[in-house]
Amino acid sequence: MFGWKGKILRIDLSTGNRSIEDLSPDLCRKFIGGRGAGLKLMVDEVDPRVDPLGTQNKLIFATGPLTGTGVPAGGRFVVVSKSPLSNCIANPCCGGYFGPNLKFAGYDVLILEGQSPSPVYLYIRDDVVELRPADHLWGKLSTDTEHALRKELGDSLDDWELNDLSVVCIGPAGENLVRFACIMADGGRAAGRSGLGAVMGSKNLKAIVAGGTGQVDVADVQKYQQAVMDFLEEGRTNRVLRTRRMYGTWSLPGRANKSGTQATRNFQEGYSKAFEWYEDPNNIRDHIRVRDEACFGCPFACSKRSRIKDPDYPWTTKGPEHESMALLGSNCGFGDLDDICRANYLCNELGMDTITAGATISCAMEMFESGFLPEKDLGFPMGFGNTEAMFALLKKTAVREDFGEILAEGGQFVAERYGHPELFMGVKGMGMPAWHPQGVEIIGLQYATNNVGGSHTKATLPFYDGRRDPADHIKWTKKDQDYVALVDSAILCWIIYHGPLWGEKLQVWLNVVTGLDFGSEELALIGEKIWNMERLFNMKAGLTAKDDALPRRMTHEPRVKGQVVHMDRMLPEYYALRGWDEKGVPKPDKLEELGLTEGGADNP
Amino acid sequence: MCQVACSLAHTGSVNPQRSRIRVFVGEEVCLPVIAGPYTEAACNSKENMVINGLEVDGCVVCRASCPVKSAFKEPDTGIPLKCDFCGDPPDPECVKWCDPDALTLVED
Repeated sequence: MFGWKGKILRIDLSTGNRSIEDLSPDLCRKFIGGRGAGLKLMVDEVDPRVDPLGTQNKLIFATGPLTGTGVPAGGRFVVVSKSPLSNCIANPCCGGYFGPNLKFAGYDVLILEGQSPSPVYLYIRDDVVELRPADHLWGKLSTDTEHALRKELGDSLDDWELNDLSVVCIGPAGENLVRFACIMADGGRAAGRSGLGAVMGSKNLKAIVAGGTGQVDVADVQKYQQAVMDFLEEGRTNRVLRTRRMYGTWSLPGRANKSGTQATRNFQEGYSKAFEWYEDPNNIRDHIRVRDEACFGCPFACSKRSRIKDPDYPWTTKGPEHESMALLGSNCGFGDLDDICRANYLCNELGMDTITAGATISCAMEMFESGFLPEKDLGFPMGFGNTEAMFALLKKTAVREDFGEILAEGGQFVAERYGHPELFMGVKGMGMPAWHPQGVEIIGLQYATNNVGGSHTKATLPFYDGRRDPADHIKWTKKDQDYVALVDSAILCWIIYHGPLWGEKLQVWLNVVTGLDFGSEELALIGEKIWNMERLFNMKAGLTAKDDALPRRMTHEPRVKGQVVHMDRMLPEYYALRGWDEKGVPKPDKLEELGLTEGGADNP
Repeated sequence: MCQVACSLAHTGSVNPQRSRIRVFVGEEVCLPVIAGPYTEAACNSKENMVINGLEVDGCVVCRASCPVKSAFKEPDTGIPLKCDFCGDPPDPECVKWCDPDALTLVED
């Protein structure tokens, strides 16, 4: 096979058993890889009702056929599992070099099962696959973990070999099963959403190191080289992509704020005065940028490494990205960049999803100011803009200390405990991302219906030509959710391929690399199938139509532009478009069309 | 990207280990190094160097293919790799694929 290596590496952490299995060409054709392949494996092997933090859940690191080929913006990997935060399927993506390095080691997919009796890290280098003791790493922050590992490995590997190894790890938050803990990778990148850091922590797996001397093949070398050259040329002149290169996501806070769609003070508003300074992204760039960074095989280098001049925060890290700046900044009632960076560093080093952490903290802030959350429980006052309290709480949450024990369970839990479940701005337990749904209504439907919960990267915001007419938005959402399922399976970077490069480029890359003949209708059906399979997995896990809902504030309190989100009108139309009944369950004829059983398994 | 371009052009597959140009990724700067002459013996002594603020082992900046360094040799056979500028006249693939224009071909 071209693109794929055709191999699954399976590790049973309970027994230490390692096995290499074939990845069937049939599965590759039907599910491509990445999110699709991970989903298929989860559906076949994991009962959707399992405890996400128990031994029966599996953690799957998946690449696609494009990973490691150097397809521009094709260097990402996906982590697939059941989420301890949403109780739904989870598939956060992450950039850097780990995905390609797993391919160079010889594997498309890594499956982690069971639970190690003591802390370990997994070392993968070509045929050498070992579980090594990690007691000495347990408790370390992300950067310290990576440095310690590289130093230790430096005893047997030279600098060039170390250079070509990737480290993914969890921080203390994952170790302590914080429900929104994330998996960190390659110096500040993250598979952020859905709390999979806690799943990794529940398995006593502190880190994974991967690299290898193997190769990845493309079907037609000359055709591929020409396709890359053409793409690079296009990338050099495309205005949106050039902006991406210059600023990464730093061009977005100002833009969102100016248009009144920036999450502010627990989504009470869409505009933050404190964020006016961000309307010129050069302000951010000049203040904290160290350098641009690219994922494997990406010419856009949209990541920005940053540093602040504070000796208590000695690390550099990637970001903060727009979402982090909003959820940890404007949403928590402040805008000072250094403070936002501090919060971002803490989340990265402790290993927590910045979006859900921000949404959880802002919920606590509002409840404190409204008198629902007493100071005696918190231990200190906690209102919007109280950055010292925020930093303290982030640290306590990661180790489940004092009120951190409550926060670690996630914002939905906190809000319910204090009698106001409507005050957590999340969907299915996942904190809503930065774009305020009352500013652009369709975003609300997307947050409410994305299978993983309140996420912005499983459909596309309607900010590009051809998508601006609200009359088309629901149709577009369905089409786009299916398309992104493919993007996450191939794997391509959503940031680059959801905007101006949306569309047939995905098909071109897949066919040039694999030498197969994926048709556009075939691909659309694969995307829709993945979407429906995820839906059925979630429903078996206990999800119902009432979980496809936004917080009451979005649907009943017109706070931004005098708008509310009309979920009561949009949701039934969306269900009908998807071929689902009024309870949001895929109808039998839709299942048949997609080749799915009623139970949501692939019907061969 | 350069490692992809080079290994693809010279070996027909993507494999950074077989690329004649390797990029050392430091925290704040990256160092591209092209494979150079083969030598039978390692250096007697070497010094760390500081390049653009990045402190590196002398082996990292050295272009030679030598017995003690893992870079610039075939991973399975150990046969040395050497950059040939993609032919005569020089037309390096790596330069073409580098978007930030970090690599330029310079006539001596």
